[in-house]
Amino acid sequence: MKEYIVTVMARDRVGIVRDVSTALADIGGNVTHVSQTVMRCYFTLIMSVQLPDERAEHEIRQAIERKGEIGELVVNVRPFVEKTESEDTPCERFVLTLRGTDRPGIISLATNYLADRGINIDDFFAYILDGRFVMLVKVSIPLGTDADEVRTELEKLGREQELIVHLQHENIFRATSDVRPVVEL
Amino acid sequence: MAYDEIFQTIEMLQNEHLDVRAVNMGIDLFDCSDRSIDRACSLVREKVLRLASPLVSACETISRRYGIPIVNKRVSVSPIADVMAGHGVEELIRVARTMDEAAREAGIDIIGGYTALAQKGMTVSDRALIESLPEVLATTSGVCASVNAASTKAGINVEALLLMGRIWLEAASRTADADGFGCCKLSVFANIPEDNPFMAGSYKGTGEPETVINIGVSGPGVVKRAIEKLRERTPDCTLGDIAEQIKSTAFRVTRCGELIGREVAKALGAEFGIVDLSLAPTPAVGDSVGEIFEAMGIPKVGGPGTTAALAMLNDAVKKGGAFASSSVGGLSGAFIPVAEDSALAKAVENGYLTLEKLEAMTSVCSVGLDMIVLPGDTSAETLTAIAMDELAIGVINRKTTSVRMIPVPGKKAGDRAVFGGLFGESPILAVQDHTSDAFVRMGGRIPAPLTSLNN
Repeated sequence: MKEYIVTVMARDRVGIVRDVSTALADIGGNVTHVSQTVMRCYFTLIMSVQLPDERAEHEIRQAIERKGEIGELVVNVRPFVEKTESEDTPCERFVLTLRGTDRPGIISLATNYLADRGINIDDFFAYILDGRFVMLVKVSIPLGTDADEVRTELEKLGREQELIVHLQHENIFRATSDVRPVVEL
Repeated sequence: MAYDEIFQTIEMLQNEHLDVRAVNMGIDLFDCSDRSIDRACSLVREKVLRLASPLVSACETISRRYGIPIVNKRVSVSPIADVMAGHGVEELIRVARTMDEAAREAGIDIIGGYTALAQKGMTVSDRALIESLPEVLATTSGVCASVNAASTKAGINVEALLLMGRIWLEAASRTADADGFGCCKLSVFANIPEDNPFMAGSYKGTGEPETVINIGVSGPGVVKRAIEKLRERTPDCTLGDIAEQIKSTAFRVTRCGELIGREVAKALGAEFGIVDLSLAPTPAVGDSVGEIFEAMGIPKVGGPGTTAALAMLNDAVKKGGAFASSSVGGLSGAFIPVAEDSALAKAVENGYLTLEKLEAMTSVCSVGLDMIVLPGDTSAETLTAIAMDELAIGVINRKTTSVRMIPVPGKKAGDRAVFGGLFGESPILAVQDHTSDAFVRMGGRIPAPLTSLNN
């Protein structure tokens, strides 16, 4: 078996996940990981799937595309590559939140800072509420990087741009939102 | 993790000023007992320095990691009167100075445990420790003292409280130039808890581990803001809604406290003890239990309704905290330390809050008549009687109560006493003096109460 990463994007409707999963099952695929969301009526899906060695990438893509209307499902298939040792830096997970009046360049500003500090984005969510831009980012800060320094710099960057920026350790949110005992978190 | 929960937590951390109020390291000192006071002091010094020195830096590292301030880092030790059994007044004073110096060298501002457990009777060293208090409180900066003079199992040791009546006046007199500040570092208890992280009454109980980290969670500002926001958002909310809001806020606050406490304990190789849920105010505006009453719709704190509001607040905090953690302990209630709470001090100034009302309020919360400032000419017997009243509330209701009172030399009711820093300032309360001298002077012990027929 070979492993692939498959992404599907489309305008949302009922049954896309059924269609994609059925297409993969029909060609002998076994889905192991899925992340799917709908944003403003647009559907995106990323999944990890095991397929028989003889299946070619274009066959997988076509099997899925055939389940939709012509041109409806935008499908990408890539062979899965394991994380290398150099990519597996020990990190701590933090949550970055940012709020402010919407304008072009806010995400670019924040993510330039993160990239320059070697901080990876694991999960990103943003929306506009009553004209205000709200951004919520789960990031991995490498061990050894002073999180308090990052926090101070991000807050300063935010103040300069009239944005409210906070960086907080993920454990705090787990402790305050999860009813399991703290020792089990 | 829901996004709105993330923003609620962010709000609590940033705009409602969540902090960890106290990280307290309990250190067992029973292995420092020695017939030679030189050797005993040297052992105390070595052990406190060895264990407490890493406390401040460990707290700072964890505070930076989580972006949550840890306000006070303190140490409490085994009850010194028991540790130093057999020693007299002079020797105990040397132990207190050793504790003070060792704490200062370790970067700790306050060390508790200069304590006598005398609820049923006094040993030679209990009596010596009490006699040493005026000197200790006047000549050390960081030593906090406590005396347990009553318990539900033993009743009230009036002999000890009679002695304390004189000691309060002497301790105030020895620090007369600072408005009797020495008494700010002395609490007298009924049912003293063994794991309380808050000063002045913190000591490391004999049933506790060798080294233990106890946590005091955030102050009242977080609860006040949560109530204000609920009332802004839902103007027709009921008291039940407010109780729910306090409960869920207490849950979050407790969880943060336990998270930080466990990390500090792990970093120091100590056991994690408890989270104390108490709402502990400071004189800073926005950090006041009195302001919680105002947020709940009682603008004149001390007026009718105050006791009911306090009962609801205290209960809701406990419910949220008890669900959050199985390691809840210490005092775990709302504090009403008058001088340390600017809204309470203002209520005294405006005449709404009296000694009698404060006493009533302590029947539904912890920690008793705390930081109450009295006229300097209050008699020793009246101080004893006030303490007896307060400790009786604890004894009968099977809870902790205490008195931390300061008879301010040369000042009378309505004058102002200023202690500064976290100890704050307050107008002096009026007291009915010399009204019960004959009762108090009979001394002895008020027997332990019946614990059935509970009405």
